[in-house]
Amino acid sequence: MTRRNLRQAALLGGALSLCALGASAETLRWASTTDPQTMDPHAVNSAPVLSFLNNVYEGLVRRGQDMSIEPSLATSWEPLEGENGWRFNLRQGVTFQDGAAFTAEDVMFSYQRASNEAADVRSWFAPVSEVRVVDDFTIDFVTTAPNPLFPDSIANFMILDKDWAESNDAALPARDAENFATMNVNGTGPFTVASRDPGVRTTLVPNANWWDEAEHNVTEAIFTPIGNSATGLAALLSGEIDFIQPIPLQDVAQVEGRDGFKVLEGEETRVIMFGFGHEHDTLLYSSDVTDANPFTDPRVRLAAAHALDIASIDRVLFRGKIEAASQLVPAGISGYSEANSDRPDYNPERAKELLAEAGYPNGFSFGLKCTNDRYINDEALCRAAASMFAAVGLNAELSTGPVRDYWPQLRADDFDMYLLGWSPGTFDMEHPIRFLLHSQDDEKRLGSWNFGNYSNARVDELLPQIQQEIDPAARQAMIDEVVSITQDEVAYIPLYTQPLIWAAKENVDLTQRADNFFMLRWVTVN
Amino acid sequence: MVYFILKRLVQSVFVMLAVAFLAFSLFRFVGDPISQMTGVETSVEDQERLREELGLNDPFILQFARFTSDMVQGDFGFSYRTRQPVAEMIADRIPATLELGVVALLISLIVGIPTGVYTALRPRGIATQAILMTTLVGVSIPTFVIGIMLIFIFGVQLGWLPTFGRGGTVQIGGWESSLFTVEGWRALLLPAITLGVYQLTLTMRLVRAEMMEVMRTDYIRFAIARGVPMNKLHYRHALSNTMVPVITIIGLQFGGVIAFSIVTESVFQWPGMGLLFLESIRFVDIPVMGVYLVVIAFFFVLVNLIVDLLYVAIDPRLRVRDVQ
Repeated sequence: MTRRNLRQAALLGGALSLCALGASAETLRWASTTDPQTMDPHAVNSAPVLSFLNNVYEGLVRRGQDMSIEPSLATSWEPLEGENGWRFNLRQGVTFQDGAAFTAEDVMFSYQRASNEAADVRSWFAPVSEVRVVDDFTIDFVTTAPNPLFPDSIANFMILDKDWAESNDAALPARDAENFATMNVNGTGPFTVASRDPGVRTTLVPNANWWDEAEHNVTEAIFTPIGNSATGLAALLSGEIDFIQPIPLQDVAQVEGRDGFKVLEGEETRVIMFGFGHEHDTLLYSSDVTDANPFTDPRVRLAAAHALDIASIDRVLFRGKIEAASQLVPAGISGYSEANSDRPDYNPERAKELLAEAGYPNGFSFGLKCTNDRYINDEALCRAAASMFAAVGLNAELSTGPVRDYWPQLRADDFDMYLLGWSPGTFDMEHPIRFLLHSQDDEKRLGSWNFGNYSNARVDELLPQIQQEIDPAARQAMIDEVVSITQDEVAYIPLYTQPLIWAAKENVDLTQRADNFFMLRWVTVN
Repeated sequence: MVYFILKRLVQSVFVMLAVAFLAFSLFRFVGDPISQMTGVETSVEDQERLREELGLNDPFILQFARFTSDMVQGDFGFSYRTRQPVAEMIADRIPATLELGVVALLISLIVGIPTGVYTALRPRGIATQAILMTTLVGVSIPTFVIGIMLIFIFGVQLGWLPTFGRGGTVQIGGWESSLFTVEGWRALLLPAITLGVYQLTLTMRLVRAEMMEVMRTDYIRFAIARGVPMNKLHYRHALSNTMVPVITIIGLQFGGVIAFSIVTESVFQWPGMGLLFLESIRFVDIPVMGVYLVVIAFFFVLVNLIVDLLYVAIDPRLRVRDVQ
């Protein structure tokens, strides 16, 4: 956006407010379902917190509108010579919002703070063995093994001012009690928090001393959490808020049907899938097969995959807004295996044949666990899937529940088949391989979300090699092998990529990033 | 009288203990706080350490004992979700809920009592039938539907009133009030009506039934025969006798209005205790849920006490017995 456009926008905004619209044109009011739990960027590794605080704090690197990694507080970075790790050259002349200068000491301090036991983001630094301040504007992160993706993996690692945190008794993130950083901020980012009433409203104003050139024209941004989606929609349609993320699918038509509003649609990076109890000896919820677990046979798992008609699910439940998935990340994510982009087609006849081959010509019954408040239309999806399974003889005993109760059940192996959605935190295929495909290994902290403990020695062997491979082609070849193995063995049934649906007033221009983060620095209120 | 109040307050301690005990025995079934407190990438080991630190592995009796002894010492603990002190979080939200509840109660009384009297005095009038029908509809529609209907009519279609939040508030000695600004009242109106509809219907029907009952009693017939002016008869003699049971029921209901304002608060994103409780359930925020339930239990006891005192004030016969 050029300066002239900005001036035009301002003029237009002024004219509009003269027409008795009331509100100032550059105030942005927005709502989302969840209030960020804290203003401390290291205390909770959750999307609402990281999304919100990326407007206030900054990392060494940041993600652009297309999710690409670009310089932020580091101007450049290169692999260390003679050892594993990365050197970051820091930006000079950056100040925190309280006026303190930004130096390598602050990065060092933030690293220590974020990798402390009290921090929820410490897993980002698991590969790091040492951090060295070289000079005021150079810092080295030494890793235990080559780690080509390390800079990408710390895009949400936000830098705090050492003196500010220490003098306010916030040297460690608050885990079970509050401290100064829970409610107060001091970042280097484009916005700062002017006032905060948790759960009610949080007001942000631009940081006049931001080092980068502002592309937005927001002079004040007011965030309100609105948990009830009908209330959120009403607030948008009545003009009390300018933008809301997300809105339910069924409300899209309501918004589109009205003048002055628009719906923003995109693909989230979250792939929805079914998982199996690979390790279970018997089914837990079956009324007919009690002495075996048919899902240990890949033919049965493939039969389940062939039973699902994603096109119908898309048409009936998702109004054509989902993208069928062949693997655990959607196309476009780094590491996506182009060579394995086919998914098992909808073929109930083939499914029945496979079941007969596996010794279950009449099918069998089993338990299917699903959430009902975690993913878009999750309960409806599972009902639809259960009836599709039933058509080939797989009788799913469906049980659904809220997510707060769901993960403990899965961790306790209390399922035959379960629903899972996965968004790759690093935006790379390595992420789901590490969490979902590698065998469970608490010591190495691998496979921690591989509830059914799918285990393949070759996959386990390839993961560290993928993590360390510098050559992109060699790395992709190994990823292709993993995807191919796990597709052949039907480790999971990837279903589709979840849509991302936001709604805004027509006069608000904004960027919908695939990680569902809302960045104020790309907002223009016309 | 002082003895009576003291006795009630001591009883309230037992009620609160019982509520806290029940709550803690149920919290295990609400869900796992740790998986709500940590991100997906947090290792199982770190989750276990946190669970141990927070004492979540202890038997619930121990957790309950710890909670109670902390409460007795005035330590309400910290929220798992926001890490803020629970006492502060709840105290911040009390004004919003109380104002909403009181205004809802006032609306129900101001509308409910006159319509109740009217429908009792003209039991066969067309207006009476219409009022009874309307309120029947009002009471049979769930609160959240009424709320959403009001929002879409007055907030979205007509654009007269705000659809969510408290509007303008002012701080008066730590009490955040929306009663002193026009914006605040505009924001308060729809949620108060939504919350008050059920109460209103109840009040009206109760007043009507009681009034009709009273109108048939001997002293009213005698008063009519004596030629007592109709206005005086209705409002001085009949209505005040009607009010005794009405006040009891309404008073007891008020505790419920405060406790169950959750639905209304959620529909209007009204930042009261109910909304806080709802968010806390979603995050399995055990400290906040525990304190909220205890506070609500105390509130119920308090309202009952006030009702008993009002009862004495209104009905002279009880005063006589008290003296004896």
